[in-house]
Amino acid sequence: MQTEDPPQDPWAKLLLAANAGDGQAYARFLHAVTPVIRGIVRARGRSFPPDQHEDIVQDVLLGLHLKRHTWRPDHPVRPWVYAIARYKVIDAFRRRGTSIHLPIEDFTDDLEALAEPDPLSARDDKREVERLIGHLDPRSAEIVRAVELREEGQAEVGVRLQMTPANLRVTLHRAMKKLAAIAGKGE
Amino acid sequence: MQTDDLIARLSASPAATPINPAQMTVLMAAAILIPLALFLGLFGTRHDLALAWTNPVVPFKTFLPLVVCLVSAALVLRLARPEAASGRMPLLYILPGGIALALWIGSFILRAPEARFAEVNPISLAECVGIILCLSIIPTIAALRVLRQGASTSPALSALLAGLMAASGAATGYSLFCTRDNPLFFVTWYGVAILFVTLMARHFGRRTLSW
Repeated sequence: MQTEDPPQDPWAKLLLAANAGDGQAYARFLHAVTPVIRGIVRARGRSFPPDQHEDIVQDVLLGLHLKRHTWRPDHPVRPWVYAIARYKVIDAFRRRGTSIHLPIEDFTDDLEALAEPDPLSARDDKREVERLIGHLDPRSAEIVRAVELREEGQAEVGVRLQMTPANLRVTLHRAMKKLAAIAGKGE
Repeated sequence: MQTDDLIARLSASPAATPINPAQMTVLMAAAILIPLALFLGLFGTRHDLALAWTNPVVPFKTFLPLVVCLVSAALVLRLARPEAASGRMPLLYILPGGIALALWIGSFILRAPEARFAEVNPISLAECVGIILCLSIIPTIAALRVLRQGASTSPALSALLAGLMAASGAATGYSLFCTRDNPLFFVTWYGVAILFVTLMARHFGRRTLSW
């Protein structure tokens, strides 16, 4: 008969405790895996500018967090961590494949001159802003309120709403586009 | 946000409920079986089912898609874990695929030219392909939703397998109603319907399963 032995790997012990509700063990687990993830990102993502490496590390940590329920205690934890890290690095490459990275600092002056009016900033009236946001679905509305009105960080909002950064960015972009269209019609 | 701040926020979150493969299996099976039960309850099985099954070719019409459905279900559940790989499991498709091909070729050789595609007409095609497509919609959507609980690192492959599982499950149930026993008909047109659902599921489900 097969018995379920307690895991020997320190990461597995920490994640087991974390999944049972031990927040401190979870923090220790995330701190323990972060340097390894950083190494993976540095090795596999050499073609990314160094300032993007930490963003990918955070994306991997968020991936581990959102999918921590998929680890089974009777399976080794390291292949699980590495698989998620690899997936997120590939995801970063995929996203970069459709976009060109240019340091935003180089374009600050032009952006200020070219920037389109923000559909929300053009409206001083709080009720008017809320009326516009009311056209969005509840999730998109919360993202717009958090990121655009309360100026919370996207990573922070992603954690709270249990969304990946990519998903959050897309939802925010679509919501702002919809708001701009509605605001344009109203004028 | 600094990485340490992110870790602090993440570790303050409540514990996650572990993934339950048995529950996922039950949900996906129910999504296939309930529409099939409604369909067969409403229209019934073919009236001569027992007699038809005395012909050794006819049971293959049910068992081939059933095997494909079961293999796909096992594979898609396995791939829901990020570290899992499909391994040698896809080799299991060789058996139903090989039998289907042998039935098609054998039937083509043995039948008189005018009898080969005699059952093919717009009504029979619309019925066969249309019913399999309709019966596949709910299980495909349900399977994709259930699989979002997992963490497939091959979302396109998982979505494709979800469609293959749903459509072959639908074809299994439909085969109990269908009276066209010519392998040239059922291998071809069940295959077309299953392939269509599979490709659609891959196309539309890939993003659903990305995370």
